[in-house]
Amino acid sequence: MAKIKGAYRLAALNEGAARLGLKTGIALADARAMIPTLEIHDADPTGDAETLLALTDWCKLFTPLAAADGPDGIVLDITGAAHLFGGESALIATITQRLRRQGFDTRAAIAGTPAAAWALARHGGQKNIVPEETPETALAKLFGPMPLAALRIETHVIAELGQAGLRRTGDLLLRPRAPIAARFGSNVFARLDELLGVTRSPISPRFDAPAFMAERRFAEGITHRDHIEAAILALCADLCGLLARHDEGARRLDVSLFRVDGAVKHIEAGTSRPLRDPKAMARLFHERIETIGEEGLETGYGFDVIRLAALSAERLDAEQVCFDTNEDRASLDDLVDRLGARFGLARITQLMPKDTHCSEQACAASPVRLRAPASRGHPRENTLLLSAPSWPAASLPAPSWDHDGDEQILALPGRPIRLLRRPEPIDTIASVPDGPPLRFRWRRVMHQVAAIEGPERIAPEWWKSTAPARDYFRAEDTAGQRFWLFREGLYQETPDPRWFMHGLFA
Amino acid sequence: MIRFADPRGYAEFGVTSNFSFLRGASHPEELVAQAIALGLAGIGIADRNSFAGVVRAHVFLRENKAEARGLRAVPGVRLVFCDGTPDILAYPQDRAAYGRLCRLLTSGNIRAAKGSCLLTLADLLDHSEGQQLIAMESSTFEHAKESGRSYQDFEQAAPAKSHPAALGELIEAAPGRLWLAASMTYGSAMRGTLAKRRKTGERLGLPLLATNDVLMHDPARRELQDVLTCIRHGVSLETAGKRLEPNAERHLKPPGEMARLFAEAPEALSETLRFLDGLAFSLDQLGHDYPQELREGFATPQEALEAFALEGAARRYPGGIPTQVSTALVHELALVAQLDYAPYFLTVHDIVRFARAQGILCQGRGSAANSTLCFCLGITEVDPVFHDLLFERFISADRREPPDIDVDFEHDRREEVIQYIYARYGRARAALTASVTTYRARSAIRETGKVFGLSEDVLSALTSQIWHFSAADGAEGEARRAGLDPTGPHLAKALALARELSGFPRHLSQHTGGFVITRTRLDEIVPLANAAMEERTVIEWDKDDLDALGILKIDILALGMLSCLRKGFDLLKAHYGRPETLASLPQEDPAVYAMIQKADTIGAFQIESRAQMSMLPRLKPATFYDLVIEVAIVRPGPIQGDMVHPYLRRRQGKEAPVYPSRELEAVLGKTLGVPLFQEQAMKIAIVAAGFTPSEADQLRRAMATFKKVGTIGTFFDKMVKGMVARGYDEDFATRCFKQIEGFGTYGFPESHAASFALLVYASCWMKCHYPDVFACALLNAQPMGFYAPAQIVRDAREHGTPVADVDINFSDWDSTLFAVEPADRLPVHQKHVDRAEDIMGTHAIRLGFRQAGGLIEHDIRRLVARRGAGYDSIRDLWLRAELSPAVLEKLAEADSFRSLGLDRREALWIVRGLNKSGDKDDLPLLKVLSFIEIEPEAKLPPMPLGQHVVEDYRHLSLSLKAHPVVFLRAQLSKRGVSKACSLLTFPANQRVSVAGLVLVRQRPGTAKGTVFLTLEDETGVANIIVWPKVFEALRAVVIGSKLIAVTGRLQREGEVVHIVAEKAEDWTRALSQLSVMGPDLQAIARADEIKQPLPGRREPVLTRPPELFDAMPLPGLPEHQDARRAMPKGRNFQ
Repeated sequence: MAKIKGAYRLAALNEGAARLGLKTGIALADARAMIPTLEIHDADPTGDAETLLALTDWCKLFTPLAAADGPDGIVLDITGAAHLFGGESALIATITQRLRRQGFDTRAAIAGTPAAAWALARHGGQKNIVPEETPETALAKLFGPMPLAALRIETHVIAELGQAGLRRTGDLLLRPRAPIAARFGSNVFARLDELLGVTRSPISPRFDAPAFMAERRFAEGITHRDHIEAAILALCADLCGLLARHDEGARRLDVSLFRVDGAVKHIEAGTSRPLRDPKAMARLFHERIETIGEEGLETGYGFDVIRLAALSAERLDAEQVCFDTNEDRASLDDLVDRLGARFGLARITQLMPKDTHCSEQACAASPVRLRAPASRGHPRENTLLLSAPSWPAASLPAPSWDHDGDEQILALPGRPIRLLRRPEPIDTIASVPDGPPLRFRWRRVMHQVAAIEGPERIAPEWWKSTAPARDYFRAEDTAGQRFWLFREGLYQETPDPRWFMHGLFA
Repeated sequence: MIRFADPRGYAEFGVTSNFSFLRGASHPEELVAQAIALGLAGIGIADRNSFAGVVRAHVFLRENKAEARGLRAVPGVRLVFCDGTPDILAYPQDRAAYGRLCRLLTSGNIRAAKGSCLLTLADLLDHSEGQQLIAMESSTFEHAKESGRSYQDFEQAAPAKSHPAALGELIEAAPGRLWLAASMTYGSAMRGTLAKRRKTGERLGLPLLATNDVLMHDPARRELQDVLTCIRHGVSLETAGKRLEPNAERHLKPPGEMARLFAEAPEALSETLRFLDGLAFSLDQLGHDYPQELREGFATPQEALEAFALEGAARRYPGGIPTQVSTALVHELALVAQLDYAPYFLTVHDIVRFARAQGILCQGRGSAANSTLCFCLGITEVDPVFHDLLFERFISADRREPPDIDVDFEHDRREEVIQYIYARYGRARAALTASVTTYRARSAIRETGKVFGLSEDVLSALTSQIWHFSAADGAEGEARRAGLDPTGPHLAKALALARELSGFPRHLSQHTGGFVITRTRLDEIVPLANAAMEERTVIEWDKDDLDALGILKIDILALGMLSCLRKGFDLLKAHYGRPETLASLPQEDPAVYAMIQKADTIGAFQIESRAQMSMLPRLKPATFYDLVIEVAIVRPGPIQGDMVHPYLRRRQGKEAPVYPSRELEAVLGKTLGVPLFQEQAMKIAIVAAGFTPSEADQLRRAMATFKKVGTIGTFFDKMVKGMVARGYDEDFATRCFKQIEGFGTYGFPESHAASFALLVYASCWMKCHYPDVFACALLNAQPMGFYAPAQIVRDAREHGTPVADVDINFSDWDSTLFAVEPADRLPVHQKHVDRAEDIMGTHAIRLGFRQAGGLIEHDIRRLVARRGAGYDSIRDLWLRAELSPAVLEKLAEADSFRSLGLDRREALWIVRGLNKSGDKDDLPLLKVLSFIEIEPEAKLPPMPLGQHVVEDYRHLSLSLKAHPVVFLRAQLSKRGVSKACSLLTFPANQRVSVAGLVLVRQRPGTAKGTVFLTLEDETGVANIIVWPKVFEALRAVVIGSKLIAVTGRLQREGEVVHIVAEKAEDWTRALSQLSVMGPDLQAIARADEIKQPLPGRREPVLTRPPELFDAMPLPGLPEHQDARRAMPKGRNFQ
C-alpha cells in the first residue's frame, strides 16, 4: 500500500490477492470494501531498492558486470561468462533456481542486447534465450507480436500509439517510419532498432565504484593474522592520506581479502562519524577480526591481494588543533566505535530524556544515535555524535503577568535529579483530603516538616495504566533536608492511601 | 462546614467549551447542565476568540429554565493574543460593549487566514470600554496552529509589550474592570503561585478572581481531552508527553470544593459574584433587528406588504378572489402585523422579484412559504387550497421565532442572487451563516485511531468501507469483519472515545446558502470571519443559533431541477412556441399521473430513485396531494416509524383507516390515519400527549441537535406516558415517538413536500409530453439527480427521441434540439407504447460538447461562433477557430469529426500530425501544402466498433453506437444469461440470470444491510436485491465489479420485477475484449441496436501478413487505457 495521487492505493499484490480479483492501483478503501480481511503492509520503495541492490551484488557471482535496472530488474553482461556455468540455459536455470531458494520469483532471459533481453524477460512468454547471430527477420518474428511495452517507451506514448491502433512491436515494423516518428518522436524507432540489434548500446552498469581505495599485493599469500593486520594498518594509513587530500572521512569501510585460490573474503566496518585516523580505523578491523577469530578468516593458502576501500565517505574538514581539545568527546566516539565494532552499535545505549508527566519514565536508555549518512562530499555541519540530548532546560514558564524580574521564580527545582530506585513507603500524618504531611518516618527516621509545597497531582497515563493518581509534595524538614514525597491515590478513591518517598533534592 | 461570604457561593468564568476546537472536551449544553447540578451561581463560557458556543449555552439555560434555579450564563470570550500577551477573559457589561467585542473579534478574524484570529493587546485597548476583564496567568497562543503564514508579517508590525507594562495599560483602559485570575489546579507549585498572585494583586490594586480554567464538565472527560490535545498537535498518546494535562482537575467543581481550595484567598470566590453582578448583557437583547424595508409610496412596511399581497391576489385570481382566499389573507396579514414580520416578507418578496426579473426560476419552501400570503406574493406556486396548513403553527406567537422561508434557485444562477443581496444590503449588514462541521462516526474513528497509534491499515479497515456503519452493529461490526477484535482493551477504548468524540464540533464552515441580514451593523451582533470563498464573509453562528435568538435569515439555496426546468421552458418556447411557467402548466393532467403510476420517471424530480420507483405502482398517485405524500413517504422518518406499510395497505383498500381517537382523526385524516409528515408528528405530541407547541418544537430540535445530553429519555417518557394517560395504545405511542426521532435527523415536513411535489409535477409533465425537451434540459443541467447521462439518453430514445452525436459542425456547448421528419423519429419502446400518444415532442437531441470531457466552454463558444457554413477539414477548424492542438485532440477523442468523414482514430492521427508540423503562423508558404498529402499513408488498422463504444464511454460517458453488453451477448447467452427485457416474461420464483453494467448500488440505512443493485444491459435495466447474508459472501463481486452477472429468484410485485441474488459473478474482465470486437457484431445483435460507425467508407487494409509473427494473442491495452477503466464504476448511495 502506498500513497499515490492523494489516496492510499495498492502498490503490489501477492498471488493470493491477485486471485481474489484485486489489482494494483485500486484504492485501499475499495480493496477493503471488497476484502475486509485483507492483510496490508506499507510499500517500502527504499527497502525494495536496497534488496535489489543486494541482489545485484549477489549476481556478481556470475559476472562482475551487473547492475540494477529500473525498479525491478537486474542486467548482467555475461559476455564470456556463460560457459563457466554450463552454457546459457544452464546459467538461467542456476540463477532462477538459486533465487527461488532465496524466495524470489524471477524471470530471466538472455539476448544479444540489453534491450532484447529486457523485452524477452518481460514479454517473451516461455522463450527466454535468443541465440547469438539470430537473423533480423527471425528477431522481427520473435518480437513482432510483443506489446509496445517491450520497447520500454513511456506509457503515454504507448497509449497514444494504441489509439492509432498500433499495439505491437510488429505494427511499427511494417509501417512507414516518418509519419509515426513525426507524431510520437524518433525514440520509438531508436528503441525498436536496439531491440532488433540494429544498433547496440553498451551495457552501462552503475557500479558503486568505491570512493577511495588502497591496495597491496603480495608475492605470495600471507596467512598470519598479525601480518594481515599489519597490512591493514598500512592500508589504513594510505587511505587516510587519500581521504585527507579530499577533506573526507570514511563512514563505511571494506577490506577485501583475495585468496590465492580466487575466493574473496570481505570484512566491513561502519563508523559513527566520518573517520580519518589510521589507527582508529585499523582498530575497527582488529575488533572485527577478534570477533570472527582466526579461523573465521579462512586464510587457507593465504591472501595475495588485500584491498581497503572506503565505500562511503563524508566531508570531514581538517581539524583545528586547539588547546582545549574536546578530547573526551573524541575518545568517547572512539569508544562507541570500538564497542560497536565488537558488539554491534545497536547494543550501545545512552540515557535520553522522554517527554512525559510520569517521573519514573522521564528518561530511558536508547541506542546511541548514529548520524544519518549524508551523501559523499556534501558539506555538512560537523555535529557531535552524542549530541547532548535535549534535556528539558529547567522549564521556563510561559509568559505571565507575574514576571517582574525582581522575584526568584522557584526556590526549588520541580524534580529531584535522581529518583530512588523504587518509591519507599513512609509513615505520615497528613490532613484529608489532600493536605500536606506534617511529619513522616522514612527509613526509621522521623522527619518534621518545616516547609512544603504541593500537592502536584499527576494522573497516570490512562491508556496504559490503571494506577491511582499521585499527589506529589516537595518538603523540607527542620534539618534542612529536602524530599520529594507522594501519596498514592486520593482520599475520594481509596480509604487509606499510602505514602511514599520518591527522591531527594540536593 | 464552609461558609461563603456571599450565599450564592461561586460562579465559574473561564470555561472552555468544545467550540474552542480541539481544546474543550464538553458541549456547552453539558457545561450548563453540570453548572445547574453543582449549584453554581453563574457560568461564563469563554471560547478562544469566538462566540460560537455561547448561544447553545444560552438556549439550554433558557429551555431548562435554569435562571429560576439561580444559574446565570453570561457570554464571554477568551482573548488569545498573538503578541505574547497572556490570555484575557472578556465579558461585556452591556449591549454596546458586546458590540465592541464582536467588532474586536471581527477585526482579528478578517486580518487572519480562515479559521484563525490574530489579536494584539492594542486591539483590546481600543475596544475595552464596558468590558470586564480577567487577566489569566499565561498565554495559550500556539504559533503554527493558530496563525498560519500571515503571523510573521503581523508580528513585525506589532512588537510585544512587556507584561507589567501591558498590565498597567489595561488598568488604565479598564479602571475597576480588571481582575487577576487565580487557579488551583494541582500544578507544580500551586500554593506558591497563589501567594505570588495575591502579592501581585495587592501591589497593583487588582482583585483576585478564582477560576478553575475549565476544560471539561466532568473529570471523566480527561481521556477525551487528551485525545483532543493529541489531534490538535497531530501526535499520538505515546508521543504527546507534556502537551497533555497532567491531571483531570480542570473540570467544573462545586462551590464547596472551590472554597476549600481557596481557603487562603476566600475573597477570590466572592469576587466571582461581584464580577457576575456587573454583567447586565444577555443574548436575549439581540434579535428582531430586521432591515426596515420601506417601499416608496407606503408609510409602513405593513402597508406595503398588504398592497403587494392584494395586487398579487388579483393577479392570481383574475376571476375574482375567492372568499376562502381573502379570509385567509386577511387573517395572515393580521398575524404578520401583530408580530411585526412585514419587513421579513418584504425582504423575501424583493429577492424573489429580483430573480424573476432576471429570468431565474425560483420557488420558496418551508413552513411559512406555503401560506396564502406567500402564494399571493409569488414566493411559492403551490396553491394553498391544496393543503390547509395553519399559518400560526409556523409563525408561533409565543416563541417569537422568525418565520422560516427557504428559497430555491437555479443552481447555476444562484450566485447572481447572492451578489444582489450583498449589493442591496451591503457587506456590513449581510453575511452567510455558518454551519458547524462536527465529527461523524467515520472521522471520529479515524482521528481517535491515529491518536491511539493504530496503523493506517487498521484505520482504513475501520473506516473506509464504502458503506460504513450500519446502525445495527456499528464500528464493532466493521472491526470484526476486518479481522480485528473490537473487545481488545486498546481498540475498545479507542472506539469508545471515538463514539464520545462524534458530534463534537470540528470547525465552522459556511452554510450553503443561509443569509443573515440585519438593519444595523452585523459585526456588532456576531463576529464575522473570512469564508473559504473570496469576497464572502461568514458569521460564527449557525441557523439554529440564529433561530434561537430570533435573527432573520433566509436560505438562498441551489436546486438543479430548477435549472433543468428553466432550460426546459426556454426550449419549449423556442421550439414549440409554448410559453410555460411553473404556474401556467395544466393542472392535474391525467396523462402525467398515468406515467407516474407506471414508474416511468427516470430524471423526474425526487421520484426517480429506485425506492421511489418501486413505490409508485403501489401508491398509484392520482392527485397532487398524492405526490406530496409520495415525496414524504420514502424517507427515513416514516420508514423508521414503520408507517409506510400501514399507509400502503389503507391506500390500496386492503385495510380500513382507523383513527386512534377523534382528536387524531382531524390530524391524520388526510393520510388515512398514518402520520407521515413532521407536522403531524408534532401535532400528535400536542394533541395526544399534551405537549405545548413550543415543547413539541423543543422535542424536534432535541432530536436533531443534542442527542448527547440525554434529554431524549425524558421526552420519550413524557410523550408515551402522556399518550397512554389519554388512552392511547402504548405501541402506537412508541411508534409515533420513533418517527419523530427519524424526523429529527431527516425532517421532512408537509410544507416542504408540497413545494417539492410541485416540481415533481412540473418535471413529470415535461417528461410526459415533451421527452425530447426534458432530456435535453436535463443533460444541460448535469450533474444532478440519480441517473447518469447515459441513462437519460437511453430513456429519451425509448420515448422516441432520436439523439445525435457530438459533432464539430452541428453541436453547441449545450445539447440542443433540432426538428426531424416524423419518419426519422425512433419507435417508442414497447413498454411505453401505451403512452405514445401523450408524447407531443417532435424533435431530436443533438448532444453538446459539455458531454465531452476535458473541453472548456470558452473554446467551444469560439468554435461555434466561427463555424459559419461549417468546417471542411480539421485544418480549417484549426486555423479558423484557433483551437490549440490539445483541444483538437479532445474533439477527436470525442469522435466529433464524423461530418468530415473521419472517425476518431483518423481524426486523432491528423490532429497529431498537425501538432508536429509546426505552429500555424510559421512559414506561410507551407500553409498551403497539406502535410497529410506529402507523408506516406500510415495505413492504420480500423478501430473496431467495440473499441469505439469503449472510447465513447471514456470521453462522453455514454455511447450512441451500441451498448457494451451487446458485444458479450453471445458469450452470455452461452452461459444461460437472459436479457433484461425478457425478465417480464418469466414466471415468479423462476431462477434466472441477468448481466449488466452496474449503474447504482444502494444500501439504505433503513434496509438493515440489504443492498439494491441496478444493472443495465442493451435491452434495459434489471433490479437486484442482495440480502445481507448473501452480500457478505458476494461482497468483493458486488462492490468491485463494473459488469456483473447475477443469478437468483425472480420476484414480482405488481409490475415491479426484482431478482433476489443468490450468486454473482464478476464479468468486468470481459470488458477488455471490447477493444477488439466489432466486425462480427451484426451476427449477434439486433440491427436496430447498433448504428454502424461509417458504413462502407473504408477499404480493408491488410496490416500484418499473418505468417510473419509467432502466434500470440493481441496484447491488451495499457492499464489506464483498458476498457475496464472507461466504464462507469457504478454510483454508491446510502
